[in-house]
Amino acid sequence: MNFHLYQVVVILVSAFMIYQGIKNYVRGKEGQTLYKVFTRVVVWGGMALIALFPNFTNILAKLIGIETNVHAVIMIGFILIFLMIFKLLSAIERLEQDISVITRKESLKEIKDANQK
Amino acid sequence: MNIPSIFIVIPAFNEESVIRDVIKEVRDAGYGNIIVVDDGSTDNTQSAARNSGAIALRHKINRGKGAATKTGIEAAKLLEADIIVTMDGDGQHAPKDIKKLVEPILKKHCDVVLGNRLANPKGMPWCKIAANHIGNFFTWWLFGLWVTDSQSGFRAYSRQAAEIINTRADRYDYDSEVIREIYIYKLKFIEVPITVRYTEYSMGKYQRQGFINGIITLYKMIWKLIC
Repeated sequence: MNFHLYQVVVILVSAFMIYQGIKNYVRGKEGQTLYKVFTRVVVWGGMALIALFPNFTNILAKLIGIETNVHAVIMIGFILIFLMIFKLLSAIERLEQDISVITRKESLKEIKDANQK
Repeated sequence: MNIPSIFIVIPAFNEESVIRDVIKEVRDAGYGNIIVVDDGSTDNTQSAARNSGAIALRHKINRGKGAATKTGIEAAKLLEADIIVTMDGDGQHAPKDIKKLVEPILKKHCDVVLGNRLANPKGMPWCKIAANHIGNFFTWWLFGLWVTDSQSGFRAYSRQAAEIINTRADRYDYDSEVIREIYIYKLKFIEVPITVRYTEYSMGKYQRQGFINGIITLYKMIWKLIC
């Protein structure tokens, strides 16, 4: 089996990313969850799989019903990116709200304390 | 007979140089209950307001005009206000117009009074007039209620309206969100003409709602409808 340079690079980077994720989880680093590890394995593992077996995308395309494998990969990629951005923006919005609530509570403390006396 | 307690809420960001004059003008107009909310200013806005006899609250970090206005309204509710008036802290609004804003609420004609700059736009830059019309259109299109000046921060609320209105917007989208709340909760409102004073100082402030901020405001209005 002949490997192209891009396949070697993608496999090495994917392997490194998966290794980092599992290592951080096993060491109990802050913020690491099983869900994050699973996501990392799916995303980077998926990329390594496609790099090792490029014809796998044809199977994926047939499964979804899209004509060419490239279209299938691009469309799935777009959808995934869109979903991630949506999730991120929602999380940012929630955080902004929480910050405002905390800031407001702090500034109103003086009045609330005076009312309680 | 109980005299209704009227509170003036002034959100302010880096207004140390003008806030004393604003507070003095409000007092001279006959209103002594003044709450200034310093929205994370990097100057001495809070101490200038406090030294002028206002209740001076402070956000430790800048959260935006909408957030500061909401904090001021919450403070007024804690202090048992019957009527709450919001106005800008840069001297653009004339305190003599406060009487026009509170009178309809005192007479129980409505719950909310919106100050309308476009009834008498003398002195208002043409780009601001155009931007306000655009703001009115999007506020109507997204939130369902047409008002003549959807972006004016000079408004008065009855206690009941202040209890009902619950906004999430922190920045310039706050003014439009209040319009949405008026529509959703079917609050009675009227618009009254107000004077606006555009000075070199107020027009020179970089954080005013310019074109870029207007686009960001529109984006936030649309985003809040989706999520």
